[in-house]
Amino acid sequence: MLRVLTLVAALLAGLPAGATDRLTLILDWFVNPDHATLLVAKEMGFFAAAGLDVELIAPADPNDPPKLVAAGKADLAISYQPQLHIQVDQGLPLKRIATLVSTPLNSLVVLRDGPIASLADLKGRRIGYSVGGFEEALLAALLAKAGLKSSDVTLVNVNFSLSPALLSGQVDAVIGAFRNFELNQLDIEKRPGRAFYVEEEGVPAYDELIVVANGARLADPRLRRFVDAMERGAQYLVNRPAESWTLFIKGRKELDDELNRRAFRDTLPRFAHSPAALDNRRYQRFAEFLKQQGLIRNVRPVADYAVELE
Amino acid sequence: MAEPASQAASAPQSPSLTATGLGLAYGGRAVFQDLALTLQGGEITCLLGPSGVGKSSLLRLIAGLGASGAVGQVSAGDGQPLVGRVAFMDQRDLLLPWLNVLGNVTLGQRLRGQPIDAERALAMLRAVGLAEVAGLWPAALSGGMRQRAALARTLMEDRPFVLMDEPFSQLDALTRTMVQDLAGRLLGGRTVLLVTHDPWEALKLGHTVLVLAGNPARLGPPLRPPGPPPRPPAEPGLLALYRVLLQRLGQAPAP
Amino acid sequence: MIAAARVAVIAGGLLLGWQALVGLLDLPHYILPSPTRVLRAGWERLPLLLGHAGVTLLEIVLGLLLGTLLGALAALAMVRRAVLRRWLLPVVVLSQAIPVFALAPILVLWLGYGLASKVAMAVLIIFFPVTASFYDGLRRTELGWLDLARTMTAGTRRQRWAELRHIRLPAALPALGSGLRIAAAVAPIGAVVGEWVGSSAGLGYLMLHANARLQIDLMFAALLLLGLIAVALYFAVDRMVRRLVPWQAEQALP
Repeated sequence: MLRVLTLVAALLAGLPAGATDRLTLILDWFVNPDHATLLVAKEMGFFAAAGLDVELIAPADPNDPPKLVAAGKADLAISYQPQLHIQVDQGLPLKRIATLVSTPLNSLVVLRDGPIASLADLKGRRIGYSVGGFEEALLAALLAKAGLKSSDVTLVNVNFSLSPALLSGQVDAVIGAFRNFELNQLDIEKRPGRAFYVEEEGVPAYDELIVVANGARLADPRLRRFVDAMERGAQYLVNRPAESWTLFIKGRKELDDELNRRAFRDTLPRFAHSPAALDNRRYQRFAEFLKQQGLIRNVRPVADYAVELE
Repeated sequence: MAEPASQAASAPQSPSLTATGLGLAYGGRAVFQDLALTLQGGEITCLLGPSGVGKSSLLRLIAGLGASGAVGQVSAGDGQPLVGRVAFMDQRDLLLPWLNVLGNVTLGQRLRGQPIDAERALAMLRAVGLAEVAGLWPAALSGGMRQRAALARTLMEDRPFVLMDEPFSQLDALTRTMVQDLAGRLLGGRTVLLVTHDPWEALKLGHTVLVLAGNPARLGPPLRPPGPPPRPPAEPGLLALYRVLLQRLGQAPAP
Repeated sequence: MIAAARVAVIAGGLLLGWQALVGLLDLPHYILPSPTRVLRAGWERLPLLLGHAGVTLLEIVLGLLLGTLLGALAALAMVRRAVLRRWLLPVVVLSQAIPVFALAPILVLWLGYGLASKVAMAVLIIFFPVTASFYDGLRRTELGWLDLARTMTAGTRRQRWAELRHIRLPAALPALGSGLRIAAAVAPIGAVVGEWVGSSAGLGYLMLHANARLQIDLMFAALLLLGLIAVALYFAVDRMVRRLVPWQAEQALP
């Protein structure tokens, strides 16, 4: 028996290199329902069918993945469209090649039984945030809509502890909360929240989660195959949500809890159905918004940092 | 060095001290058992013995420092309790490095919360010849100077009973002689127990010399060398006594 | 003056080594910027850096003061009462064993996002070094001194107190000094971790912010400034400790 196994192992090891190409993709955070498309594609063998062995890696620091791809240490990374604009403005050679979640997820969240009923109530209040780089820009747009200035509120960095900060009353509102997560978290704690969606309050629409690659390596044929396999995953997800959930928690028992279940359900409608597709005008509009908020110095042509792969 | 003879002469005679039932056990073995000794009031008694015989433990017992495995009863000749009437001096100077010499000499008053009598302390330092270094750290002093400072501290305590555990053994021969003379003169009038392993020192300084030797250790009959201490080495009769001491210590065959 | 020259040489050497590292490994500016980029960024944003540095410095100093006070009191308490020793010692060791990262979010939730939680973090981090070294020093007093003190205070009521105040305590000051030196070196860590977990000012906060905005030059400039503060603080504490223990100067190494 052992001899058969060793033979099989030797055969597999000796397979020609082109049969399965290895691709490293660094996620933006620990595995969570936002990554459903990728996990479904992997579990259903769509990547393998495209001749790809995709390794999904969770980073220690969410700021690392784009840097590693830019430095050539990883093939792909999950990033955020707003951060991509900033990164490219700082000279990182990154390009967006696919969209994972094509709506914004970022929102301003308050407790439903709290003092904030409308954006105007934020005057003189404390707002918690996670340092992501562009919270102030989002907030400035939201406040402007309510006729307020940034100096009318106090920003406090609560570093990812958004819900606890809100629940403990240390802050009156949090920005940078993902509507599919924090709202469910608050619900589970029996203190429901209310969200103000940034794209409804003066911020141009953008893709919350995208796939970025090194701008110098776009001729790599593996990339288009990857995006096509991703599309198959997105289709499966929208057609068979229940089976998709089973695939999501397969071999990852720790993800099978109430919060993830609810977040999965709420994220389903937001996954990009056509991951490769790019709306140039949309990206241009968001870049102009960031420039106006002083977050980037120059508005570059979209083709410099976002492409639809051939 | 200034003479302190007047000070010694004016000190009132200290009472005698009696210790009975003295025993020391170590590692299950009895080092000595049921010993008794008496210190004559106002005199220096030298306790002589080889290393390991337990003389330090005996001294610590009398000092109230509680040696482990040691038992005994100690009482003063005037019937008053012994507590608080004993001054102690060790072979190490035990000068506190964070106090200057004057501060060390007045340590007792400092510890007891009494007002510091700097005048008297300086007088003590003058008596031992250290008045010029009163403001220095102990680390700046030589070994001999440090032990002299310790002597000044002991005298400053002005206690009737003075217990000294080989106080000069760490000094070199020349310094030792000088400090022995000093101590011999300044300790006048007090009841002193001086533990030593040097027969010459015992003969030089002691009104009485007791020998603790043997296995199990025994105290032999007390020797009374002639003449008042400190005795010059040429004093007649000392050589003969020296041989007796050696014999008692088990170093020389009986004549 | 020789000391200043020595510091300049060390600094110069480190900068050269850094530049060499960047050059040899061809590291991109968003992973490890060169010293020139960092120094330039630091110079351009100096007011911003100094403002945040002031906040962090305040957190560290307050943490050092409070931590030293609590640590010294804990050590004295353990020496005076055996029962406290038995119950307090495991807690002290625990304070060191638990990584501050784990406790930081809890502290921030309790004490808020202002100065208090950062000071608490710094206190936590230095509590063990200060307590343990002072406690050790108080325990290991030269027996001869204690014997001497016993004979001098026999029969008085203030015996144990006098022994503690006049013998054990001064004798333990060198040990406390060692603990304080360690504390000065690690207190900045506590303050910065506290800032990372929740704050709106300070060098740690600035580093987070700069990193998120991909302003790596600024992040390293903040890091460099933090390093300078830590080094300066260490030497300041070292000098103070030497003044605390003036008699030890006599026993300097040749």
